[in-house]
Amino acid sequence: MALLELKGVTKVYQQGKIEVPALRGIDLTVEAGEFTTLFGPSGSGKTTLLNLVGCLDKPTGGTILFDGQDLAALSKKELAMIRREHIGFIFQSYNLIPVLTAYENVEFAIRLVNKHSDREIKDKVMGILAAVGLEGLENRRPNELSGGQKQRVAIARALVKEPKLVLADEPSANLDSKTSEEVLAVMAKMNRELGTTFIFSTHDPLVMDYARRLLEIRDGVITLDRRRDEAIVSH
Amino acid sequence: MSFLVRLAFKNLFRHRLRTVVSIGAIAFSVMVVVFARGYVTGMVHSVTADHIQYNSGHIKIVQEEYYRQERLLPLNHSVDGLGEGGLDEMIGKLEELDGVNMVIPRLKFGAMVSTGDELLTLGGWGVNPELELAFTDIEDSLVEGRMIQPGRLEVVMGTKLLDKIDRRVGDKVTVVFNTAFNSLSGVTFEIVGRLKSGLKLLNEAVFLLPLDEAQRLLYMDDQVTELLLVTEDVGKIEEVLPKIKALLSEDGRYLALSYRETSDLIPFMDLAELIYNQVYFFLVVLACVIVVNTMIMIVAERTKEIGMMAALGLERRGIMELFLIEGGIMGVVGSLLGAMAGWLITSYFAEAGLDFTQAMAGIDADVPFNAIIYPSASLGNTVFAFLLGVVIVTLACLIPARRAANLEPTVAMRGA
Ligand SMILES: Nc1ncnc2c1ncn2[C@@H]1O[C@H](COP(=O)(O)OP(=O)(O)OP(=O)(O)O)[C@@H](O)[C@H]1O
Ligand SMILES: [Mg+2]
Repeated sequence: MALLELKGVTKVYQQGKIEVPALRGIDLTVEAGEFTTLFGPSGSGKTTLLNLVGCLDKPTGGTILFDGQDLAALSKKELAMIRREHIGFIFQSYNLIPVLTAYENVEFAIRLVNKHSDREIKDKVMGILAAVGLEGLENRRPNELSGGQKQRVAIARALVKEPKLVLADEPSANLDSKTSEEVLAVMAKMNRELGTTFIFSTHDPLVMDYARRLLEIRDGVITLDRRRDEAIVSH
Repeated sequence: MSFLVRLAFKNLFRHRLRTVVSIGAIAFSVMVVVFARGYVTGMVHSVTADHIQYNSGHIKIVQEEYYRQERLLPLNHSVDGLGEGGLDEMIGKLEELDGVNMVIPRLKFGAMVSTGDELLTLGGWGVNPELELAFTDIEDSLVEGRMIQPGRLEVVMGTKLLDKIDRRVGDKVTVVFNTAFNSLSGVTFEIVGRLKSGLKLLNEAVFLLPLDEAQRLLYMDDQVTELLLVTEDVGKIEEVLPKIKALLSEDGRYLALSYRETSDLIPFMDLAELIYNQVYFFLVVLACVIVVNTMIMIVAERTKEIGMMAALGLERRGIMELFLIEGGIMGVVGSLLGAMAGWLITSYFAEAGLDFTQAMAGIDADVPFNAIIYPSASLGNTVFAFLLGVVIVTLACLIPARRAANLEPTVAMRGA
């Protein structure tokens, strides 16, 4: 069974009296373990699509099956529960809590899941921070970290609860190209090691090289869907 | 969830100045509530106590006709016993009643004293010194000399009065008055004591002399103008009053009045307390406006962060909790500081008193309003103000907390 199955998904935003069609019939299947890049020009619908598959919003039409479950049937509360347990988010502007340390920012996500002992939480948080390369920086606050390090904290926060799906909306847009590559490399590594499914959007052609599946979206429809066997490009 | 409490606590340190201003506003309003409430309570206590001590007792017995002309201090409608029985027998009967602790006789009359170039009108109070010392706090006002003693031609006078007639303790003073037979009489007394009081009445409008001498000089043996009854406590008055009325009814000339019936001020004081209680509420609400305003700013600033938390699966309730705890902590800290400061200030003035002698110079001496107000510092009052602060601030924070909880999780995804 596919992790995600979208059929004829549309999304129309209501802006006052004007209807803005953001997605116009998306058919898409994502298998568990895929590492997918979503690219397209500004306003093409990337964020909208991520919002829908991330259970943050509901489509205007069509169906979305997450792990076989129809999202349309779920309440806001149930959607929140799916997000809490099964979906990790990485944001363009990191979105870390400034008064918490790197450790505590990651801890926040797993505390919400609320099914681990303190001991387990500590092990998981320390483990994931080490895996994304932040060993020794656990007690730093976000303002004591570089952009790349902040995004690694965000990746750790998304991964700590071992979700089925991680969504990243332009995770490298605020980073220089070298740091972008590092961050992408970390995501690719986690994808390989943990088998977590990743979908991330980007503008940046350099970043696309990391993807094993490329999806192009234009004006709310998918215009290109290409898989590559060997994704990781070495420089 | 203790993690949220920790986070809320840390959030308070994001903009220290803002937090300090909010806490300061709460603290200030709570402090003012503590002080103002202590002040009003102190004022009401003092007005009530002065009225009871120097005018009415708990229950006042006078002739109905006397009560009507009280300001003129008539001598021909006196309390002189029940039916055929004399005054002593009447006092005895009253004292025997359950709940009556003391019966205090007073004989009030109009008098005049010369200052040298004009005549001052005064009230003379023939009193039983022992009973007065036991019932009133006149001893505290007696700053020089001693209390009058029965059987002697002595008076105690207020400081201002002595100034006006240019006399000192130890000097003699000649007092002119009308007797009960309407004959004019002048008697010279020795001044044995000086009173200094915030009550204008004691300070300049009356003088005290022994009751037995007053009765003799006025030709009113075995008569007084009023009897003041003291009950076990004010709460018992309503119980005792009917029994007294029953006893008095066999004569028919007398009235028994509770202290509330004889005061013009006390009902106003009750009303004032009621109004002030609402003022306190609004005062704290006003401080909340500052807190709520700050919190709304905070919610706006943290929109993406709140969206992120929602995206990560923190539910509405959790987000509300986070902001309520944040506001609640400010409410607790602010109210605690304010309550403590208010307690300290009130305690200080409860000792030192606030002197309004100047401001009250023009007020009639009949008004039993003490120019020196001692706010009452009570624990109950302080705790009340503290709780008022905490509850109102926390409730007010529901507004920004709901705003935060109503944010859509998609805001987290919006561009930088
Ligand atoms: N909340 C909204 N209300 C109204 N219209 C919206 C809303 N969000 C997005 N849109 C519109 O939907 C379309 C798709 O927007 P979306 O944000 O998904 O594009 P995007 O591909 O993520 O663009 P970018 O690369 O600039 O982030 C755009 O035309 C946008 O203006
Ligand atoms: Mg976007």
